[in-house]
Amino acid sequence: MERIDRPRSRLAAALVGVAIIVAACGGGTPSQAPAATDAPATPAPAASDDVTITPVPGQGGMTSDGRPLIRWFVGLGTGERPNHIEVEQAVVDAWNEAHPEMVVSLEIYRNAVAYDTLATQIATGNAPDIIGPIGLRALQSFGDQLLDLSPYIESSGADLSEIPQGLMDAYNLDGKQIGIPMAVYPSFIYYNKTLFDEANLPYPPHKVGEQYEGQDWTWETAAELARKLTVDAAGNDATSADFDPENIVQYGLDAQWTENDARAWATVFGGSGSALADDGTAQFPDNWRTGLEFYYDGIWNGHFIPDKAAVDGMSGGNTFQSGQIAMDVVHLWYTCCVYPAEGTPPVTDWDIAVVPVGPDGNTTSKLHADTIGILASSPHPDLAFEVMNYLAGSPELTQIYGAMPARASAQDAFFEGLSEGFAPLEIDWQVARDMLEYPDVPSHESYMPNFQRADAANKALGSRLWTTPGLDVNAEIDALVTELTGIFAEASD
Amino acid sequence: MTAASGSATPRIVELGPPPRPSRFSLATREHLSGFLYISPWIVGFFLFTFAPMIASLVLSFTDFDPRSPGSTTFIGLANYQRMAAGILGLNGGDPLIGEALFVTIRFAALLIPITLLFALGVAMLVNSTLLAGRNIFRTLFYMPMQIPIVASTLIWIGMLNASTGWFNQILGALGVSGPDWINSVTWVGPSLVLMGLWGIGNMMLIFLAGLQGIPTELYDACKVDGAGRWASFRNVTLPMLSPVLFYNVIITLIGTFQYFTQAYIIGNGRGDPDNATLFFNLHLYREGWAFYSMGYASALAWLLFAIVLGLTVFLFRSAGSWVYEAGGDR
Repeated sequence: MERIDRPRSRLAAALVGVAIIVAACGGGTPSQAPAATDAPATPAPAASDDVTITPVPGQGGMTSDGRPLIRWFVGLGTGERPNHIEVEQAVVDAWNEAHPEMVVSLEIYRNAVAYDTLATQIATGNAPDIIGPIGLRALQSFGDQLLDLSPYIESSGADLSEIPQGLMDAYNLDGKQIGIPMAVYPSFIYYNKTLFDEANLPYPPHKVGEQYEGQDWTWETAAELARKLTVDAAGNDATSADFDPENIVQYGLDAQWTENDARAWATVFGGSGSALADDGTAQFPDNWRTGLEFYYDGIWNGHFIPDKAAVDGMSGGNTFQSGQIAMDVVHLWYTCCVYPAEGTPPVTDWDIAVVPVGPDGNTTSKLHADTIGILASSPHPDLAFEVMNYLAGSPELTQIYGAMPARASAQDAFFEGLSEGFAPLEIDWQVARDMLEYPDVPSHESYMPNFQRADAANKALGSRLWTTPGLDVNAEIDALVTELTGIFAEASD
Repeated sequence: MTAASGSATPRIVELGPPPRPSRFSLATREHLSGFLYISPWIVGFFLFTFAPMIASLVLSFTDFDPRSPGSTTFIGLANYQRMAAGILGLNGGDPLIGEALFVTIRFAALLIPITLLFALGVAMLVNSTLLAGRNIFRTLFYMPMQIPIVASTLIWIGMLNASTGWFNQILGALGVSGPDWINSVTWVGPSLVLMGLWGIGNMMLIFLAGLQGIPTELYDACKVDGAGRWASFRNVTLPMLSPVLFYNVIITLIGTFQYFTQAYIIGNGRGDPDNATLFFNLHLYREGWAFYSMGYASALAWLLFAIVLGLTVFLFRSAGSWVYEAGGDR
């Protein structure tokens, strides 16, 4: 019998063991690559069908036949739905036809993988030229990599006078103009007229300053109205002594798809604010505290706002569409996902109303905005700027994204298109126009040092408030401020 | 041999010189052939597993951010110091690493024994001659393995929903108020274990194969000795099944430390509620792909590797005292 060399066989066995563990650690069922950031600025519901597009091959920013290649990366915000892709490709084709000296190539990525993909492309020196549409929050992830557009704006003589300066400033990071506003999405109240009619209640105001039933249209008034519209299984509303909060079948109020974002909730119910104080430390303004207390109280004591478990049980989170929400504060982009865009759900008769006055005495419409940016690594920044301008001004794109054009002159046509799309419903789109006059400044998505970590802490608080009864909201906010102070300090180290 | 046509003289075939003896022994040549046959796997392993591992080891000593690779700097052991300080609860440490380790270890302590017992129980059940339609039950218990993890997790989220889920509706019909399974810090762990029980198909199958490999003579001998069911199980089934049990423990342990997809979906990629689903792997993912601290994430990956390796070595060393090996000297 062959003699076994013990030390060698042990070494071999150890190597095999390590290899097995390595293989086990590396193997397994492939799981879907998730999104790198918590939520897109504008939700992009998953595409129901694959639309095939073929990116133009090229290397070093040139096509194989020697023409400059401009790659447009879509997926960080909206733009990945099949109906979007069709229009995006048509817009790109139109450009390519008119500009045979260069080629624009459309690249679509699902939002779930877009952030990882872009980070990997940048890391491997294979970055695209243009990215977008992309919202303010998402922009914080790649802000440092974006080109300062100021010299290109100046040299091209681009007319941006129609875009409000406040919106332009939103895309100015440390003096760098990293984007030109393409689309804006003010928020307002979508209300289910059927539920109001059933309860014999008048509809909420359509104009800022209007009263509701002789009361100022404040969040307190809205809360009282929401209680009347919150109903249990026995048909009792939340103002009734017999109301059973364990068996609610209809809620009066929600701010859907706010995604655990404490800053966003604080802004909806409290008005504008910032977590970053002038001296660079963390803060949580008093009006935000009041706003979060209102929200928390509405969930756990007033029971007129659904908690997370209830939201999960309503049409997969599309709460207004479930027909179980009477009033819902959402942005203009929600036109993507409400009747009739989403088939024939329980909601078939709805309209929009203005947001109530907040505890700071102001009307504040939480605003989302999209831009298109250029990566600083682009080998053809001049050409990319031309293409970016073309895309940002494309009415076809803003229409398909459900986005109000940032340029005032394009807004009439946009709303006409929207009215046609929602006929025979007669939606009062003037509310949306009016709400644009009351944006949150500073934005609830504005810059925080060490942004990803700071935003994670902000959302951890949102998650706790949304899922846990019996909390001391002020103590939770104090803990967040302490945590943010540490996170901000890390950034300056 | 064939004779040339038309000729009676057999053709003389000239043989070449005798083959030169190989420079390698037969054993060496056999080894070389073996390596040649498995070379595709070896090449794949080195290119796609070993090389990335080395790359991640190198990255773990840097502050690599994939968004700005040009500004990567060598930071020595800083990532490992941050990890250690976090585990020890010192200032400047990773504040979540302790929590992530605790969540993972607590889950492993809960999941591994429960799933092993459940899978073994089911395997014995579907191995029993007393069960009618055994093959149907085997198929049914294995079927969940065919459903993608993402889909099954979403289905479970629906079933465990506090207000509309089947679980709480059934409990409600029984007069019991069900908990908020998914959104409660207390209940989300047990919910994940419950989901884990649904996916015991593979383990059950392996146990079943092990059970069917136990010689029936041993049970006959037990009967002759007057042993009851429990004595047979303790003295025959368990020892004979111990190698299979050992294998399942190792695989489940590694799988538990690799736990990710379900936690990512249920915890919204953030460890919700309140970090109760912040498994080590999810923490690693967030550091690398949400916060873009790829260097630190690499260091975390190496800690995970060291933990799994350590536990595996410990189990292999302990195997001598509880794993029966036929023909072995134990």
